[in-house]
Amino acid sequence: MEIKEIVIREALPSVFRGEPHHKSDVWLTELRLQKGGRYIISAESGTGKSSLCAYIYGSRRDYEGKIFFGTTDIATLRIAQWQEIRRSNLAYLPQDLGLFPELTAMENIVLKNDLTGHLAPERIEELLGRLGIAARRDFPVGRMSIGQQQRVGIIRAIAQPFDFILLDEPVSHLDEQNNRIVASIIEEEAARQGAAIISTSVGNHLLLSDAETLYL
Amino acid sequence: MRLRNSATISRLLRRNLSKVQLAGFILSNFIGLAIVISGIQFYADIRPIWSADDSFINQDYIIVNKQVTASHMLGSARTGFTEAETASLEAQPWLRRLGRFSSADYEVKAYMNQGGRGMSTNMFLEAIPDGFIDVDPSSWSFEPGQNEVPVIISKDYLTLYNFGFASSSGLPQLTEGMLSSIPLQLRLSSRDGSKEVSLQARITGFSGRLNTILVPQEFMEWSNALLGENEASEPQRLILDVSSPGDVAITRYLDEHGLERAGEDKGSQAAYFLKLVSGVVIAIGALITFLSFFILLLSVALLMQKNRSKLHTLIMLGYDLQAVGRPYERITLWAALASYALAVVAMLIFRNIYISGLRSLSGQNEVGVAVSLLCGAGLVALSILVNFLSIRRKVKSSFYV
Repeated sequence: MEIKEIVIREALPSVFRGEPHHKSDVWLTELRLQKGGRYIISAESGTGKSSLCAYIYGSRRDYEGKIFFGTTDIATLRIAQWQEIRRSNLAYLPQDLGLFPELTAMENIVLKNDLTGHLAPERIEELLGRLGIAARRDFPVGRMSIGQQQRVGIIRAIAQPFDFILLDEPVSHLDEQNNRIVASIIEEEAARQGAAIISTSVGNHLLLSDAETLYL
Repeated sequence: MRLRNSATISRLLRRNLSKVQLAGFILSNFIGLAIVISGIQFYADIRPIWSADDSFINQDYIIVNKQVTASHMLGSARTGFTEAETASLEAQPWLRRLGRFSSADYEVKAYMNQGGRGMSTNMFLEAIPDGFIDVDPSSWSFEPGQNEVPVIISKDYLTLYNFGFASSSGLPQLTEGMLSSIPLQLRLSSRDGSKEVSLQARITGFSGRLNTILVPQEFMEWSNALLGENEASEPQRLILDVSSPGDVAITRYLDEHGLERAGEDKGSQAAYFLKLVSGVVIAIGALITFLSFFILLLSVALLMQKNRSKLHTLIMLGYDLQAVGRPYERITLWAALASYALAVVAMLIFRNIYISGLRSLSGQNEVGVAVSLLCGAGLVALSILVNFLSIRRKVKSSFYV
């Protein structure tokens, strides 16, 4: 099921209910995120940035209001449909990365890529090289620095076809140079598929060339 | 690609697997299953020896007669049942049906010819209503003019012949099958010797519960009319169809009225005891089996709990729930099959110890191992199913954070 638009309507994390809230571009309003768009969601910590990603990705349901993929309320999706969407339409890099520390960088990437068959082996090698972690290819991820782990996570996130890619603080531990490399790789992949990029940050924004910034 | 991937998932998800817990399960499940299937097998093997099962007479039927006391010998009391007595029996709530034994009112002599050696003996004949006998009606019938009459004789007579008469007089011992094929000549004569009838008897079967020689009711009526003195005699014995043969009310009634129940021997008591002991042993085995599967259920649940974040991460990557649960299903399956296989081996070894002794007792009629194996397999399949359902539920619960 192709996702052309994500609509967030009058949504609010359940824990915020009853609390006085300042003006937000996302909560308690209607936000329409279009396929092909570039969005930076800028937030202070504790404003529900990771919650938003988890809601859109279907792994949490503790919100009020509604979220739609096109016209489909995501609360009505069945597990099998979610799994299909996660393989073909929606890519996600969680803030905690969700890497398996006991597996090597390559094994972590292959674990996803085998499921989708999206990236050719040479392309994975090329990406490892561009992100400067080719030498860590067969290292257990648990023994890498957070910045290196983030780069492994980014390759894994794009190892699938997608209409939207959700990146939760993808470059929080990267220097500006690596930030630019990551941004260009993601833009390349998104452009090739006509997909949208949604990237959150608390300060260190993903350096996309042309993005709309929304404040949470 | 796929294969390597599923190996990676297995490696990930089996982490924290406690080998001790798994070995504990296999051992306890093996013990439980071995007891269950050995118990069932032993019972199945030994049952034919003890069983007083009688294919001719339903287990719910009991046969009663009056106790013979000194006053009977002196002729002051009768062993027959009067109309009043049968009416009193018929009024009992536990009685469904009552049948009267009728006996031959003439003399019977049987001749047997075996390998040129003849044997003759005085005999008696009895009949009960056909509705009480479970045999094919076509083989249990008689019409006047027919030259052959079917009979059912007591197993005790065969035993008496084989171990009493034959062994002391140097005659060969006979099996049921052999005896059935030997022609038996009956000569019936009226008490005054004026009338005589000769005909063939065919042994239709042997009964462990009827201490008599039984002929069809039609034959009895015909022969009594022809040869008897037409005195209506009181039945000496009754066959009762009761709702529950073990009912104490029946025993109390019989005791109070000086009646005896026939066909109650040590064999049936031993069979009852055997049934009880086997039941207890099998129940204990089944209990151990279920407890051991509970161990497996808990250790897999614990393992999945320890690996919950990994399960969640794999689901977040887009893996189908079945693929995520499969490594645990595989552990359950192999552990269960391993303990079942061990239990089967143990049962076969145990059976090997007693079966030769048993064969010399029971002869040819051997029971296979299919029933016990199927029972064990059924238990294992049930437990695997329950475990699979539990695994699926656990995987599903890892979908959300």
